[in-house]
This record gives sequence, structure tokens and C-alpha cells, in this order.
Amino acid sequence: MSLATALVVALIAVALVLALLVTMRAELTRAPAGKVLAFVALFLLPTLAVWSGFNQQMQLAESTQFCLSCHVMSDYGHSLYVDDPSYIPAVHFQNRFVPRDHACYTCHTDYTLFGTVHSKLRGLHHLEVEYLGTIPAPDKIRLYVPFNNRECLHCHLGARTFEEERAHHRTPTEMADIKADRLSCMTSKCHDTVHAVDTLHDASFWKPEN
Amino acid sequence: MAPQPIELRIRLAGSLVVAGLLVQALSLLKIHPLAFVAFLLVGCPLVLAGVLLFLYSLVRPEGR
Repeated sequence: MSLATALVVALIAVALVLALLVTMRAELTRAPAGKVLAFVALFLLPTLAVWSGFNQQMQLAESTQFCLSCHVMSDYGHSLYVDDPSYIPAVHFQNRFVPRDHACYTCHTDYTLFGTVHSKLRGLHHLEVEYLGTIPAPDKIRLYVPFNNRECLHCHLGARTFEEERAHHRTPTEMADIKADRLSCMTSKCHDTVHAVDTLHDASFWKPEN
Repeated sequence: MAPQPIELRIRLAGSLVVAGLLVQALSLLKIHPLAFVAFLLVGCPLVLAGVLLFLYSLVRPEGR
């Protein structure tokens, strides 16, 4: 448990104890100090606990552990350890191009004004499918919409390795097409080995030392 | 002394808040989508219902 989560749980625990006290001894509210206690215990602290708990849940929902806690995602988690640099998620994860504890979210959120909201809504749809729908086989899982280059360019735009790469300048308009998402990074036979979970049975895996 | 009506409402509000906070605390102990759902769909509504009932009991005309 992280320190932030521990602090939120501690806040909720304090709110819980005070709310329990007021519930068990409601007659305390006859005195002025009891009225203040009830206001703190049944309004201020619970409101603060809900707000901070909600924020913390949102943070936890962005963690790699959260995404991989559904069984159907386990192959996608394994694909992060494939010992082959042509696997795009693996090379990003293993070289810390993305934070390992937020690996899924870093690439699969939308870097737009309401990108986080859209990501959370997609997450709710995942939950609906997981618990109320028919879960597809791991290799049949597809993105709801094609992966937008914007998510790659959030980090790579302006990077020398991206801007000066010869393969990005094979035609006069290639770089402009990439930046405008007219030429996909991942589906234009360039970086098209992504999670490729149907190939994992033949793959070798990186074993981190720590 | 017999409990007054406002005290009964405070007890009910407190029970809802306690139940909601308990769900919220437990949901934060495990990183899992079901914990997220429990927080959002069970914990939050219980706490909010308790808080609203408490506020309502304060402004209710026959309250103290």
C-alpha cells in the first residue's frame, strides 16, 4: 500500500470512528459541543473522505496492477516482458520509456482536454464487458478506435531520434502525415508488432534482476 | 430520557455514513476493478445519503 493510500485510509478510519461515536451516542448532540462534533463527524470528515477516496481510486485505476488484475489482460502483461525490441510495448516498458507502474495508462489514455474522462469511460465499458458481457479471447481483443499517433507524439514529438530518423523522411510528406495521424505509427508496417499476444508462446522473456 | 426524533435521524444518518466509510476503506485495501466499483456504486452513495439525511435533519422544521 502506498503512503497516499495509507493516508486516505487513515482519514477514513478517523471519520469512521467519529461517525460511529455520534451514531452510538446521539444524545451527545444535545450539548453545543456535541452539535459541532456531529457536524464534523457526519458532514465535514465524510465529505473529505469521499473526495480524497475518489481521487485515490482514480489514481489506483491508472496503475498497471489495476489493469492486469483482470485475467483476460494477463497475456498483455506478459507481452511487456518479451525479449524482443520489435515489440513496441515491451521496449517502452523495459527501458522505462513509460513508468512501469503506469505502463498501460501512459499509452492508452488520450492526450486531449477530456482524455482522462474518455479513458475512465472506456474503463467502465471494460468493466461492463468483464462482469456483464462476453469476454473475448485475449488475441481477439481490439481497441475501440484505432490508436492515434497523438499518443505516441506526446513523448516522441521533438525528440531527435524521432525527428531525424531516416525512415520518417522516406517521402517529402511522410513526417507531416505522421504528425497529422494520416500515416499510423502502428498500422503502416512500421511499428506494427504491438502486444501480439498470439505470438507469445514462441517468444522468450526478459527476467528483470530486481 | 427517550431519544428525540432528530437523534433517531442522526443515528440513521450515522449508520449510513459508517457503512459507506467501511466500504470505502475496504475498497482501498485492494487494487482491483471490483474494489473501484464497490467504492463508486456502494460506498459513495451510502456516505452521501447519510450526509444528506444529516443535513436534512438539521433544517427539518420540527427538529431542535
